[in-house]
Amino acid sequence: MAMTAPFFKYGMFGDEASLVLAFLIGIGFGFFLERAGFGSARKLVSQFYLNDLAVFKVMFTAIVTAMLGVTYLGWIGWLDLSLVYLVPTYLLPQVVGGLLLGVGFVVGGYCPGTSVAATATGRVDGLVYVLGIFAGMFAFAELYPFLKGFYLSGSGEALTIPGTFGLPYGLVVFAVVLMAVGGFYGAGLLEKKFAAAGE
Amino acid sequence: MNPYLAGIGLGLVLLASFVLVGRGLGATGAFNSVIAWVVGGVAPDHARGNEFIAGYLGDGGASPLKSWLLFEVVGLFAGAMFSGLLAGRAKVMTEKGPRVSVRTRLAMAFAGGVLMAFGAALARGCTSGQALTGGALLNLGSWAFMMMVFAGAYAVAYFVRWQWR
Amino acid sequence: MSGWFSRLTLNQKLALAAIALGAGALFAAPYPGSKVTLDARELALVVGTEADHVEAPELAAWIIENRADYRLVDLRTEKEFATYSIPTAVNIPMSVLPEAGLGRQEKLVLYSEGGIHSAQAWMLLKALGHKSVYMLKGGLDEWKDQVVFPVLADDPTPAQRARDERLKAMSAFFGGQPRSAASAAAGEPETPGIAAPLTPAVPKVAAPPSPAGGAKPAVKKKREGC
Repeated sequence: MAMTAPFFKYGMFGDEASLVLAFLIGIGFGFFLERAGFGSARKLVSQFYLNDLAVFKVMFTAIVTAMLGVTYLGWIGWLDLSLVYLVPTYLLPQVVGGLLLGVGFVVGGYCPGTSVAATATGRVDGLVYVLGIFAGMFAFAELYPFLKGFYLSGSGEALTIPGTFGLPYGLVVFAVVLMAVGGFYGAGLLEKKFAAAGE
Repeated sequence: MNPYLAGIGLGLVLLASFVLVGRGLGATGAFNSVIAWVVGGVAPDHARGNEFIAGYLGDGGASPLKSWLLFEVVGLFAGAMFSGLLAGRAKVMTEKGPRVSVRTRLAMAFAGGVLMAFGAALARGCTSGQALTGGALLNLGSWAFMMMVFAGAYAVAYFVRWQWR
Repeated sequence: MSGWFSRLTLNQKLALAAIALGAGALFAAPYPGSKVTLDARELALVVGTEADHVEAPELAAWIIENRADYRLVDLRTEKEFATYSIPTAVNIPMSVLPEAGLGRQEKLVLYSEGGIHSAQAWMLLKALGHKSVYMLKGGLDEWKDQVVFPVLADDPTPAQRARDERLKAMSAFFGGQPRSAASAAAGEPETPGIAAPLTPAVPKVAAPPSPAGGAKPAVKKKREGC
């Protein structure tokens, strides 16, 4: 019997074990978020004042790492990529949601994951941010009947960039890597230029 | 830590999630599960009647707290705490710039959270679930979302710089 | 050459590694598409021992007990399905089986008219990596013969009488009717094509099978989000 991944989708273990794994994976997630300094609002927000582009560097390095991993593991047939959950695309709400998230990011200083990390390291503003998320989510749920139409506008299909534009998967992967590395180089230049302005 | 190394670490955690469980990371869903649990406990009929919340209650067989994301976020908390303590970065304080009061900063933090919640709800995720996870999987909506996050943040950053400088 | 490499900073080395791996990815096509691999020996063994068969009365018992740990799949066309189907079955015609989105570890019981299509579908699903696939032995033909129109003994002994009572109850549950051994042996024409859709006295089953299978994915879907 060939050992293929994702293990859970092949019934290697059950729901309970997957919850334990969730916890362990979460530990890794939180650990590296804090390692990168993302438990601090000032560090995070520096991205948007161009002093410290760690957010861009960490995020895109993570994306490239996982993307390459998935590509190679899928290519050798060990990982069945079609079984990895792909969030359906609802373009308009996601675009608007992204803008709101970006605004919330600089106003509040965190995003949901980092706000939990910040709370874990004692940041009061992180905790207040978390409370804000609860309040906002609850409000969203209450307003859902009015927002439902917009919320559901879009195809709701699981779409990938290579699939949508008819490009070879590997080509897009390579393009993303180039863009990321180029971005890292540019980020270094920007930091040198604007670092003086920050604290 | 070198941001690139931290990024590689994060990327490997994400990859492990894909390989082991067939899904990526996230954070927003955990908040929804908690809300569903609270509302479901306090006002069950209202919870059932609300389509959004009901989705997190499922068929009533299992508690909404038995959610993959919730367990993951609890782990996030633990992992971050561990790293912070290890690095001496754990401290009860309020992150803010020198020219703004704690009260104002906390008010802004709350407001930011509210905005973020709406954004994440509409986008079906946040930077963890959409940008990181969807980004790695070349998900179309996720990449569009990611670009918009940066756009929105950069656009508004100038107007709230008094909070940080 | 090695001297040049060692003089790079860590970040530069990482960048180079990334570009190299990215270039390698140009030749990668990670989505498996529709190609499948089979373990011939394993499959031959399973087929030989008939380990993956479910007998009609067994399935009937599962339905009566209202078991929900499996999904019953009717592989025939929509038209055939509409004429008659085993209660609780969901219709997934052969042609759309690969795209039906069935979970790899879901327990599936397949049936078709006789057994040929279900055997072929079984092979297909096993090849796609499904772990728990079963076939209704004899298909709908055996279902009608053994469950809906079971044959009763002509001159039942006490033991046979008990069995006959069970058969009667079972066939009544599915809106059928027992036959006598004599009429069955007389080569009575194929159990009359059940013209009107049977409405078995199965209150819970009256609800379309989708919610049982559909609600779960809906729940899981929400939870699988971010």
